[in-house]
Amino acid sequence: MTQPAPASPVFWRFNPEVFRLIGIKCQDCGHISYPRTKICHECGSQKLEEYQLPKRGTIHTFCVNWAPPPTFEPPIMPVIVDLEGGGRYQGLMTEFGAPEDVKIGAKVEMVLRKLTTDRGLNVYGYKFRLVEE
Amino acid sequence: MRGKVAVIGVGMIKFGELFEKSLENMIQEAYLNCLKNVDKGIDPKEIKAAWFGQWSGGFIGQGAQSGQSLASMIGNRNIPCTRLENACPTGGDTFRHACLGVASGMYDVVLALGAEKMRDKPSAESLGGAGGGGGAETGNHPAWMIGQGGPAIQAMHATRQMYELGYTMEDFARVAVKNHHNGTFCPYAHYQFEITLERVLNSPVICWPLHLFDCCPQTDGAAAAIVCRADLAKKYTSKPVYVLASNVGVDHNQLWDRNSFIEQLSTVRAAKGAFQMAGIKPSDVDFAELHDCFTNTELMNAEDVGFVRKGEAARKLKDGEFDMHGSLPINPSGGLKAHGHPIAATGLGQIFELVTQLREEADKRQVKLKNGIGLQHNVGGPAFGVSAVNILSRSP
Ligand SMILES: [Zn+2]
Repeated sequence: MTQPAPASPVFWRFNPEVFRLIGIKCQDCGHISYPRTKICHECGSQKLEEYQLPKRGTIHTFCVNWAPPPTFEPPIMPVIVDLEGGGRYQGLMTEFGAPEDVKIGAKVEMVLRKLTTDRGLNVYGYKFRLVEE
Repeated sequence: MRGKVAVIGVGMIKFGELFEKSLENMIQEAYLNCLKNVDKGIDPKEIKAAWFGQWSGGFIGQGAQSGQSLASMIGNRNIPCTRLENACPTGGDTFRHACLGVASGMYDVVLALGAEKMRDKPSAESLGGAGGGGGAETGNHPAWMIGQGGPAIQAMHATRQMYELGYTMEDFARVAVKNHHNGTFCPYAHYQFEITLERVLNSPVICWPLHLFDCCPQTDGAAAAIVCRADLAKKYTSKPVYVLASNVGVDHNQLWDRNSFIEQLSTVRAAKGAFQMAGIKPSDVDFAELHDCFTNTELMNAEDVGFVRKGEAARKLKDGEFDMHGSLPINPSGGLKAHGHPIAATGLGQIFELVTQLREEADKRQVKLKNGIGLQHNVGGPAFGVSAVNILSRSP
């Protein structure tokens, strides 16, 4: 298993995307993708504009992973979130009471959290938590 | 492709936890079994090119191999030999490249062989290699070190299948019961025991909604096929099996770029192209080996290949239509559920099953043939964005 160290070039390169959530919106087909790219993954167009992902959305799908890789404490809940206004983000749920509280269609928001610890250093990024209605 | 290529021999070894066998042992056994399977005989030197499928090089302790590994191990270094990796469809795509080698007119007789040693490392490391690790599935993007491998990806599809199609965990479990039953008749299967619906549903939850017995095991194995020019096939065998189509389909590399979680467009594209190439319809197929890495995946595959409409697979399974003696047997070999999934060997193991069935040599698991046509399918990779489909037939 290879994971990049926090000081590795990949962290430096992806800095704007990770914390400012900068992706692209295709001016031809409307596809929203993340991180930034120069060719639309959906239609191949090069007419793209930078697009900042919103932090809120609803759960499109999820699972409850009771057998995650060694650095994670089970259970973890990977989610795919339909963001407000289009586009999707993939992440982990945080601060849920029971796994049963997490459902398709539930409203969630991104919060900055520690994702993992790699060789003694904390790695930060966004997780999702349920929004009280 | 159609009319140009035939399979003249197939060979595999019993899949399992083969701690006593090295990668070379497995490769040589599968190869020798394959040569023996050419019933009118073949001089190994007649093989003029080879493709070697191996998914994982370095990370699971089998050593990073390349083309010369296979050529040297079979004592045939006067031929070009290439190693090919294409995720879970590595085996199906290795077969495709061998077929393209013959169809191009470049070679008369070629070898496709896939081998994988998964079990020399503990499951967690082996799974890590398979994308269970933080970054492996997500292009090493730091924000997505979310501990996601095959089980999590397919579980997220299963959740959505339950939500959109009304599928249940019992529906998924029925795939495991069927395939384990079929596996008891296949001497090459890793698992050769029956399981009950209750046992699947009471097994530990690995990744809700998937239980332990919804997941295929990790397994060592090797399998091979020799293909040749269709017009030369009868020189080597009294029962040639002809290649009607061989295709690969792809979709997005990342889950968030994809639209639907109840369908995999990689499979849809691979199958559509293959049926076009073969000039047949899904209903012309007598039986299929579909990539059941997880139980919910088999249901999705049956729909995506085009055998049934979206949302119909669970009911057809329940009604017994996919049973070994049903109207469309799916995974009569026992599939990945019973054989395990030695990645590059898997697709060629399915080709082995197709050829064995089409020659009516499958003994207790023999399916009934009408048109004499079988279909092989793999799907996998990041976001399950790559799929292979091969269609074989008794007649050219
Ligand atoms: Zn576009």
